[in-house]
Amino acid sequence: MTSVTYENVVKKFGEMTAVDNINFHVDDKEFLVLVGPSGCGKTTALRLLAGLEEISSGEIKIGDRVVNDVAPKDRDIAMVFQSYALYPHLSVYDNMAFGLKLRKVNKDEIKRRVTEAADVLGITDLLQRKPRQLSGGQRQRVAVGRAIVREPKVFLFDEPLSNLDAKLRVQMRAEISKLHQRLQTTFIYVTHDQTEAMTMATRIAVINKGKLQQIDTPQNLYDHPGNLFVAGFIGSPAMNFFPGKLRKDGDKIVVDTGDFVVPIPAAKAAPYKPHTDKDIIFGIRPENIHDADFVPPNIDAEKVAVKVDVTELMGNEIFLYLVSGKNTFVARVDPRSKLRVGQQAQVMFDMDNFHIFDASTEEAIR
Amino acid sequence: MATTTLEISKSAGMARIKKAILPYVYLLPAFVVMSVITFYPLIYQVIISFTDFQTKDLLKQLASPNLNYIGVKNYVDIVTGGLPVQNFEFFRVLTYNIWWAVTNVLVHVPAGVLIAVLLNTQGLWGKKIYRALYVLPVVIPPIVVGTVWKNIFDEQYGAMNQFLTAVVHLFGTADPVRIRWLTEYTPPIPWLLPNGPLTLAYYAMMIANFWLGWPFMTLVATGALQSIPKDLYEAASIDGASGSQQFWNITVPLLRPAMIPAAMYGFTMSFNLFNFVFFMSGGGPARSTEILVTFAYDLVRNLRLYGAAAAFSVIVFFVALIVFLVTNRITRATEAYTEA
Ligand SMILES: Nc1ncnc2c1ncn2[C@@H]1O[C@H](COP(=O)(O)OP(=O)(O)O)[C@@H](O)[C@H]1O
Ligand SMILES: [Mg+2]
Repeated sequence: MTSVTYENVVKKFGEMTAVDNINFHVDDKEFLVLVGPSGCGKTTALRLLAGLEEISSGEIKIGDRVVNDVAPKDRDIAMVFQSYALYPHLSVYDNMAFGLKLRKVNKDEIKRRVTEAADVLGITDLLQRKPRQLSGGQRQRVAVGRAIVREPKVFLFDEPLSNLDAKLRVQMRAEISKLHQRLQTTFIYVTHDQTEAMTMATRIAVINKGKLQQIDTPQNLYDHPGNLFVAGFIGSPAMNFFPGKLRKDGDKIVVDTGDFVVPIPAAKAAPYKPHTDKDIIFGIRPENIHDADFVPPNIDAEKVAVKVDVTELMGNEIFLYLVSGKNTFVARVDPRSKLRVGQQAQVMFDMDNFHIFDASTEEAIR
Repeated sequence: MATTTLEISKSAGMARIKKAILPYVYLLPAFVVMSVITFYPLIYQVIISFTDFQTKDLLKQLASPNLNYIGVKNYVDIVTGGLPVQNFEFFRVLTYNIWWAVTNVLVHVPAGVLIAVLLNTQGLWGKKIYRALYVLPVVIPPIVVGTVWKNIFDEQYGAMNQFLTAVVHLFGTADPVRIRWLTEYTPPIPWLLPNGPLTLAYYAMMIANFWLGWPFMTLVATGALQSIPKDLYEAASIDGASGSQQFWNITVPLLRPAMIPAAMYGFTMSFNLFNFVFFMSGGGPARSTEILVTFAYDLVRNLRLYGAAAAFSVIVFFVALIVFLVTNRITRATEAYTEA
């Protein structure tokens, strides 16, 4: 059982608070991804767990053991660094064997573990090379291999794919997921790339400005973002936001953005009743805005008049950049759409899938 | 069509030849100057190394009627000890010279690295001041250093003996310490260099040259230390390396590419450290701290054996060449670990 628990964890660098009172629990064998924009404190949060930074206040537990004062080497963790941090003077084999040699594992066992890990990662041919003779992708594998051979209870990854080209990144994403299934241990993975987070994680912790915003499964984060930041961060292209007001219109509640008015379906209206006349931000994802000619059946669609500003043909879909009054937003529509640049048109908002946030607290209203 | 191609390639060929010659045209002035101040004396020296050139020949030089060409006699005399010079055996001086250079480097490099590592401690107070201070010995001329340290090791008035006197006073001895640092011939450890004893002067000079030598090594090591990525130490600490294991497994191997050329440079510097040796011990006592270059100087200045001195210089030239080739080779053989 190797869970990881952050309890009221704070890390300050002088006056600057890099990690601001973070609480979460990672279960055994989970693949938790910490995601957030650059500089939000993800790396610091991970380094606190690794023991490379000292915690200012709070507690981190690995299993049931508080590790605040435990040396990195005694935490039973392994870490893959963003820079890989391979020992440049050692061969691939020795890089992987280094930690085991220091731990006085016997030679045969070291050899067994290194060859096995090399086999899993497909780097058997590279064992005698020095890091400088390897490509970025190969170095990355060696860094992972160095972590695997240690057979740690928790794996830590700090943006391991960010130095790779796009194609390799996709491939390694799948390989790291496979590795997680194979090893059946706890993974904690830091990235700024929400796609990486969405595709690999069993759960995602979204961090912004040192604070934990929300922690949940990828699907739940996507479907039910708890606040404006999470809503905007998760999903690509990002969710469209329209500042506006909730108004009562007869027995209906409507969203009034000043440029257009859309009614909230009666079945969903209940949570919004107490918030009428409040400043809100209305959010809708690009795929929930449809070309009026290609509206899926059985959805609660509402017309909005727009002007088409830019179109991007993606083959299997079209991104439309639309203007409605002072708002510009994106729609991801059926590839058969005939809408062209400059055209005045009507698009349909799927009112079964929308989000409303309190404009002052930025929390979701639901 | 065909002709134009031909013409183009012709004029391209001309341009190429021009391009190949041009660098030599630029080099010509430098070559002329070097011929006068470097090549001419060099060849002249080789010529007189085959003669019995002495003071009497100074006026008419090579045209002197008394000048005799004696073949390789000077060379043979030097190597076999046939020179009319006291306390001189060529191979003893050569061994001592190499020993002197090697032992200096063996002390300076580890000490330099150690001090660099200590001064590199995170959050150490006044780092910039130390760095300014240890550059001082690098910029003070070795002549000054040699003279100052000669005074420090003076038998009667030197700071070293006075300091030792103060120390033994603490233990109740009233006699002043009068160690003859630079003139005592009896070696303290007779067996250390079997080919010729290491006198006290050697140790005194090691101490003085330490002062002169470590800052350069610290300078180089400090630069190299800063280029070792911090995350290697972090990775190692997670891998289970203690502080000293990190030092031996990361710091030392990653300093090697910088320190080996520095050590080679230090070796050649010490090997030919004329100013310092000349002013500190003058090669004494009894030529026990003589190095090749100070001896060559002595051959001319005191003994006036110009022919022999010339031959000696030619030998020293070849010794220096071998030293250079060997050190150069070692330096290049040390591959850098950094990204290709
Ligand atoms: N050693 C440090 N000293 C001072 N400030 C730091 C240090 N490490 C990180 N920070 C600051 O803490 C914040 C979070 O950094 P980091 O955890 O590296 O962000 P992320 O990995 O999310 O991009 C940043 O503003 C960064 O400048
Ligand atoms: Mg980071």
